[in-house]
Amino acid sequence: MSRRLKISIFRHNPRDPRSVPRLVDYELDERPGMTLFIALNAIRDTQAPDLNFDFVCRAGVCGACAMVIDGRPGLACRTLTSTLPAAFSLYPLPVFRLVADLSVDTGSWMRELAERLQTWVHLDAEPDLDRLEARMEPALAEAVYELDRCIECGCCIAACATAQMREGFVGAVGLVKIARFRLDSADTRDDADFYELVGNDEGIFGCMSLLACNDLCPKELPLQTQLAWLRRKMAGQGVRWLRRG
Amino acid sequence: MNVAKRTFDAVIVGAGGAGLRAALQLSEAGLKTAVLTKVFPTRSHTVAAQGGVAASLGNSTEDNWHWHMYDTVKGSDWLGDQDAIEFMCKKANEVVIELEHYGMPFDRTDNGKIYQRPFGGHSMNYGQAPVMRSCAAADRTGHAMLHALYQRNVRANTQFFVEWMALDLIRDADGDVLGVTAMEMETGEVSIFHAKATIFATGGAGRIYYSSTNAFINTGDGVGMAARAGIPLEDMEFWQFHPTGVAGAGVLITEGVRGEGGILRNAQGERFMERYAPNLKDLASRDVVSRAMTTEINEGRGCGPDKDHVLLDITHLAPDTIMKRLPGIREIAIQFAGVDPIKAPIPVVPTCHYQMGGIPTNYKGQVVVPKDGNPNSPVAGFYAAGECACASVHGANRLGTNSLLDLLVFGKSAGETVVEDFQSGQLKLKPLPADAADVSLARLARLDGQTNGESVFDVGLEMRRTMQKHAGVFRFDNLLKEGVQKIGEVAERAKRTQIADKSKVWNVARMEALELDNLIEVARATMVSAEARKESRGAHVRDDAPDTAENPNGRDDANWLKHTLWYSEGNRLDYKPVNLKPLSDDVEPIALAKRTY
Ligand code: SF4
Ligand code: SF4
Ligand code: FES
Repeated sequence: MSRRLKISIFRHNPRDPRSVPRLVDYELDERPGMTLFIALNAIRDTQAPDLNFDFVCRAGVCGACAMVIDGRPGLACRTLTSTLPAAFSLYPLPVFRLVADLSVDTGSWMRELAERLQTWVHLDAEPDLDRLEARMEPALAEAVYELDRCIECGCCIAACATAQMREGFVGAVGLVKIARFRLDSADTRDDADFYELVGNDEGIFGCMSLLACNDLCPKELPLQTQLAWLRRKMAGQGVRWLRRG
Repeated sequence: MNVAKRTFDAVIVGAGGAGLRAALQLSEAGLKTAVLTKVFPTRSHTVAAQGGVAASLGNSTEDNWHWHMYDTVKGSDWLGDQDAIEFMCKKANEVVIELEHYGMPFDRTDNGKIYQRPFGGHSMNYGQAPVMRSCAAADRTGHAMLHALYQRNVRANTQFFVEWMALDLIRDADGDVLGVTAMEMETGEVSIFHAKATIFATGGAGRIYYSSTNAFINTGDGVGMAARAGIPLEDMEFWQFHPTGVAGAGVLITEGVRGEGGILRNAQGERFMERYAPNLKDLASRDVVSRAMTTEINEGRGCGPDKDHVLLDITHLAPDTIMKRLPGIREIAIQFAGVDPIKAPIPVVPTCHYQMGGIPTNYKGQVVVPKDGNPNSPVAGFYAAGECACASVHGANRLGTNSLLDLLVFGKSAGETVVEDFQSGQLKLKPLPADAADVSLARLARLDGQTNGESVFDVGLEMRRTMQKHAGVFRFDNLLKEGVQKIGEVAERAKRTQIADKSKVWNVARMEALELDNLIEVARATMVSAEARKESRGAHVRDDAPDTAENPNGRDDANWLKHTLWYSEGNRLDYKPVNLKPLSDDVEPIALAKRTY
């Protein structure tokens, strides 16, 4: 027997002066293999043409569709309704600016982060294109790739107690990016440079290691190990910093 | 309505791979540039590309750009322009190495070079054996590439207008392009972006088909805008159906899976590609594999209760290889097909994937139209790159991994051309005509005032069904004729779309109605161009143009070795010659031959 789903969706359009935040219930029949992508589009096509949400790739790689699903941040396109109870709620991610309904502006937040943490490979000189590629050990390349898989979905931020309390906290997404460029042999920055960027309470020392981020990252990035590693390195760097006076 | 004006040196529409690569060129040269995009740059559809980017680095097997050029010309079924193809294949190593310096985390070989894998249609020594030419970051190459390009743009301080939808192209009485009108999606306000140069990098329009690997944002906005503004569309009858979309879900499974040893099997468990392409087998060109699969299914050898798909088998690969080289694929198979490919094969069907045609350009990224007897006369101020453009390097059929290469090479080339034209003082800020925004405002007023109209959803669905049935993997003369009439009717209905919600802020229904206008142009162009081309070539295969001694594979070079040009106004067709001459003397023209794998 297929279930009848009751989805309670947060509705609010902050741009519209008449709009008040509210939960609206929508019902539909569950189908085999139904993801939240399919369910939300069905609701928009037949019941709520003005419902706002974001999907681009529908395959878990673009990071556009994160929302709070039955209480936990996750990617809507990769969530099967069969893994949820028959009645559940959908909320937009907290921390980020609400655009409307389930849509939030993770983009501006991520751009600001990218500028602040300078998340690009810092080279000594412009690449010389007549030369061959810079060699890199396959194991190192794999490690860099592993951290480069972050899709900037914002789930780790939505799950993080520090991020909710302290505006400006770079969160797991920011720290994992620092870890990524720190690993990269092409990046010329050293630990002192990285310390400048995240050796503070808005960076690694603000993290309380409760690891909600690690449990919820939809790409299963090794956040726990990376945060611990970075903390050790940055603490060491801080000591050197003090000694140098 | 009050229309704000903003002035820039250049405006780029689209922030996927091609848009970001072009933007980088402009930002680093110090041009004041606006990049308009419907979604945040790193969400763009380039992110979904899995397999890799082609470059004849020769890291894993011997290789050179001559072989790559030969494969691309042959893959295009000789409809690609050989000057543009030479340019692209020669530039490939440069743009890939550049990207590697920007931090793109490519897989590496044991000696630290970029790892390369085999891919469909790519061969060594002019078709003799598969070559390893595809540079990949596991099976998330597009994601890694898009992020590397974005990071570099943040460094260059590129200015993005995120969640802005371009509406119409602005041309003056001379036909020169002066920018675009665009709507801020959050407020519904319309602005004019007035610029010396306009670059379209808006991607494809795969959403004209019912079953598509394309994201919902791929609504052919640039192609539709160009068509409405009187620019002809080139070779729109050629669409690539990717052999391996997950049955039912449409999500893509990269060819890299077959590159790593994956095998296609029918209901009898037979490796049927051995019959269709004895040399390259499962790694034959995409159109060949898609048609072989469709033939198997049509002849009753499909799998599953409805015999409507075939199976992609990698159960014979070591679990380690799958985990390391194809982790994303395993994730997708588990999620969307409910099978773990380590243990069971994945159900797949050919699914619409890529638009070979588009806005006609030359290898410099300039948009070109017939004018005063010159079939390729540049339109002042107008450039295009990536899937929305037709350079034409893919001709009648694109090879896998040549799309990421296309957007890098021609994104960069369009950017370089703009920078040169700007620095030489050739680009001028021409005065805006008084009616610059009128077309867009009239479209919006029509939509708001419509009564007794059509639902956007219904018209869109009818369009997708019509395209799927009448202009799919195989084409039939009678279905195409009917299709032309049907799509004409759908286009008429699209002129009367109505939306219930008329609010200005975040009005999703309005955006979908505006996107439908663009899709409809693409659908009309496709159907009319396909009906008219009475031969089989590349991805366009007709029942009434079979393989004969006179016309091998049904290809009729005597009459049809030419590019289609479709004009929206009057649904009119024109043709222009294919450039069979390479750009330089470094290489001889690749002579016409029958295409076999
Ligand atoms: S670290 Fe994980 S949860 Fe956080 S943004 Fe990246 S992918 Fe999302
Ligand atoms: S471990 Fe640190 S970054 Fe992760 S959720 Fe906790 S405080 Fe936030
Ligand atoms: S839609 Fe792209 S991650 Fe969900």
